[in-house]
Amino acid sequence: MPELEPEIHRVGEQLAASFPSSVRHPVRALDARAMELASRDRELRAALFRFVDVVPACRSPDDVARHLRDFVDEVPDVPSSLAAAMRIADVRAARPALGAAAAAGVKHMAHRFIVGETPRDAVKVLRALWERGVASTVDLLGEATVTPAEANVYAGRCLEALEQLAAETPGWPERPVLERDCSGPLPRVNGSVKISALTPLLRADAPSIGERDAAERLRPLLRRARDLGAHVHIDMESLDSREAVLELVLELLDEQEFETGPSAGVVLQAYLRDSPEQLATVLDWAHDGSRLPPLQVRLVKGAYWDHELVEARQQGWPTPVFEVKADCDRNFEALTRTLLDARPQVRIAIASHNLRSVSHAIAYNRLSGGEDRDLELQVLRGLGDELQDALAANGFRVRTYCPVGDLVAGMAYLVRRLLENTSNESFLHEQASGRALEQLLTAP
Amino acid sequence: MTSTALARFANEPVLELRRAAVRARLGEALAGVDALLPLSVPVMIGESTRAGDELLSSDPGEPERVVARAAAAREDEVLAAVAEARAGFAAWRRTPARERAAALVRAAAWMRERRLELAALEVRECAKPWPEADADVCEAIDFLEYYARAAVELDAGAPLVQVPGERNELRYLPRGVAAVISPWNFPIAIPCGMTAAALATGNAVVLKPAEQSPACGLRIVEALRAGGVPPAAISLLPGEGDVGAGLVRHPDVATIAFTGSLAVGLEINRAAAELQPGQLAIKRVIAELGGKNCVIVDADADLDEAVPGIVGSAFAYAGQKCSAASRVLVHDAIADRLIERVAGAAGVLVVGQAEQLGTEVPPVIERAARDRIDRYAALAASEGRIVARAEPVPEQGWFCAPTVAVDLPPDSAVLNEEVFGPLLTIERVRDVEHAMDVVDRLPYALTGGLFARDPTTVRYVRERTPVGNLYVNRGITGAKVGRQPFGGNRLSGNGLKAGGPGYLLAFVEPQAFTENTVRHGLVV
Repeated sequence: MPELEPEIHRVGEQLAASFPSSVRHPVRALDARAMELASRDRELRAALFRFVDVVPACRSPDDVARHLRDFVDEVPDVPSSLAAAMRIADVRAARPALGAAAAAGVKHMAHRFIVGETPRDAVKVLRALWERGVASTVDLLGEATVTPAEANVYAGRCLEALEQLAAETPGWPERPVLERDCSGPLPRVNGSVKISALTPLLRADAPSIGERDAAERLRPLLRRARDLGAHVHIDMESLDSREAVLELVLELLDEQEFETGPSAGVVLQAYLRDSPEQLATVLDWAHDGSRLPPLQVRLVKGAYWDHELVEARQQGWPTPVFEVKADCDRNFEALTRTLLDARPQVRIAIASHNLRSVSHAIAYNRLSGGEDRDLELQVLRGLGDELQDALAANGFRVRTYCPVGDLVAGMAYLVRRLLENTSNESFLHEQASGRALEQLLTAP
Repeated sequence: MTSTALARFANEPVLELRRAAVRARLGEALAGVDALLPLSVPVMIGESTRAGDELLSSDPGEPERVVARAAAAREDEVLAAVAEARAGFAAWRRTPARERAAALVRAAAWMRERRLELAALEVRECAKPWPEADADVCEAIDFLEYYARAAVELDAGAPLVQVPGERNELRYLPRGVAAVISPWNFPIAIPCGMTAAALATGNAVVLKPAEQSPACGLRIVEALRAGGVPPAAISLLPGEGDVGAGLVRHPDVATIAFTGSLAVGLEINRAAAELQPGQLAIKRVIAELGGKNCVIVDADADLDEAVPGIVGSAFAYAGQKCSAASRVLVHDAIADRLIERVAGAAGVLVVGQAEQLGTEVPPVIERAARDRIDRYAALAASEGRIVARAEPVPEQGWFCAPTVAVDLPPDSAVLNEEVFGPLLTIERVRDVEHAMDVVDRLPYALTGGLFARDPTTVRYVRERTPVGNLYVNRGITGAKVGRQPFGGNRLSGNGLKAGGPGYLLAFVEPQAFTENTVRHGLVV
């Protein structure tokens, strides 16, 4: 398709023009000075992330301060300004103040990524987004599920969130871009669900055990979503649970009671080398079923890159993920095209903060005869805010992934997002460090 | 085989069982082994073999299924085996270290070609669930590859101070005949490791595998001989305790490598100390014994990691690992939450047959083990409080219900004796220092765990703990050759680290060589 590259650049430039003049780096939410120090020093960066991670488990401001000092003590060449601050931690009377300030800093940062402690808190934010032309999907953060009781609690929270949102959303103003595509109406209520939270029995070497157990909790959720007219999106996590998640979702949606609803979706992770085969499996299923509403496929790069790499290295397995960013980006674009070509059997959501990947999807969609409303774009709360606003301003359907939960529950999410998006490879980092638009839009 | 340099050591990768295509191969491998049952395990002394059926090994999950019919070595066979080993030693010690190493590497290749078949045998003979059985075979391969390389390095000797007019050299020589007496819980890896260490350094070996797993022992000898270890240098004596005792007492056995219980280990140590008529060397005992392994959980621990780490360490393979977690010492501030979560997780452990993928708690090795573990569980119920018990368990097979107990008095036998089964206790402590006081009072010191995030706490525990292997923020089992050299201190063993850089030193004696190079006042 010779016209593709020029169109990608046109779209990209148009979107970029809608960005605020200076794009904030995602880690600016942390103390700017600390992060500037941290970005130069790997050890210091590790210490700060370990500190952020432990804050919710600390019992008092004093405990927070002690942890901060002990992490910083591990760093070989502590910058003198930070070392001076840490000496405060040695003064017993001053410690609580330092601890309280540090904990407040972490909490402030968390609030940028997490829209509220409960769905009720979140509703205000979700409505404000909607009014600005931005749809949302709610993700309930939780601690790991290791017991059946915890799985039941999570399933109950999901049901409750669907109910609460279903009670709220009818009062929202009409937003035609967000509510209909060529396959029909799109639910206003949209929840993202993690299978690992619905069962304590996910085992990589025996997926069927976890599938059976999770099915018992997922079915009631699907039923309620169907009756409320809500969309349920099943998130994907690490490769260890991928088989269980995909099999479970496709099998359940095949059950007779779910033939005509709810609207549901799965995730495809482009960083996996075998993601094209995964997509083929999904498309085969979608083609056979011709389900209405169609299954939505959310294409992401994938958020467990470090985990996959470390696990494979420790076990001596072939690396399941692309190790070179350009390979991953190329695969993302190839999967985008396959998905767009597969409509209307599936609905498509492109979830990326990479301006090139997003522009590519929009351009390819247009050139292959699609309408803009047949392509959904998704971003993460707190990381993709600028892109979200640019997309909405240009009339695209953008949906923001909105985590909801308390600080303890959110910490794993927060640390993962921070680590992933502050890496030197990330698009946001490149964008924030002032690379030229032309370069950002170049084919991978 | 040319003696080109060996590639750098890397652990044998375990099966990627998260892939359906890999899992699909297991059933066929098990059917292949089942078709051969019962296996015949002979006494093998040099080139000669004697079949017999004095000893039967059976499937712990289906006790009527006989896995192997083994000959039990008689007293005269013990004598013959040691005599053969003495003869074999004379030739094997003269084989260059590189050639010995090459034989071990070929034995590793033999096992690598039969990985699934060997794992399937462990599934049957010892009820090891697939992932654990596979890991055991990989570890056996690792030992062969690792010690092969280490022995070549050791053969170069050690540098000494040199002055004009004399030449000083230090070499490491094999000690002679080594008896290897091994357990059933790592039925290929542990005997293979001890045997490989002895052979790599030029000793001849008589292997006495556990009476519960003679067929696994046979496979090790087959691998080594297929790799080119001369039959006289590796003999197999299946049998019970009397065979091991006969080997320990034999005047020509110079080294005894033993892994097993404290009681037997102490008895071996005692017997080995007695000089026998005709004995020319002080016997050396390498002992890897029991454990009463504690996991400390501090108030700042990430329970999302601690709970699976603890439950996996305590219950995988029904707790039948010397490294398994048996006591949790948890900070008061988070004790309720941890107990609730560990109990909930233990309550849904998958108890089942070893051959079923997903099984976490298989049957224990034999009836006596089940009865012993059940007695400890009953004691825990009467002296404390049971907070989780995954029942019912299958009727057929030696199953024990995974159990979590709390509120036990400090002097309870459940807290102080090695149970070697799926029974975990949890105790509250005031802080990490209190936990370390508890750990410090135990005579065992094999593995230990710590879940804590403050680096100061980690340093404190590391400096104070007596254990041989301390694991921080992860499970406490699954030591890898070359990465986690394994072995305990105090009554858990004599501190040598299997799969570590110093292990081979236990199988050799150093010889210092000094030659005067001055002739008529000239250095020549």
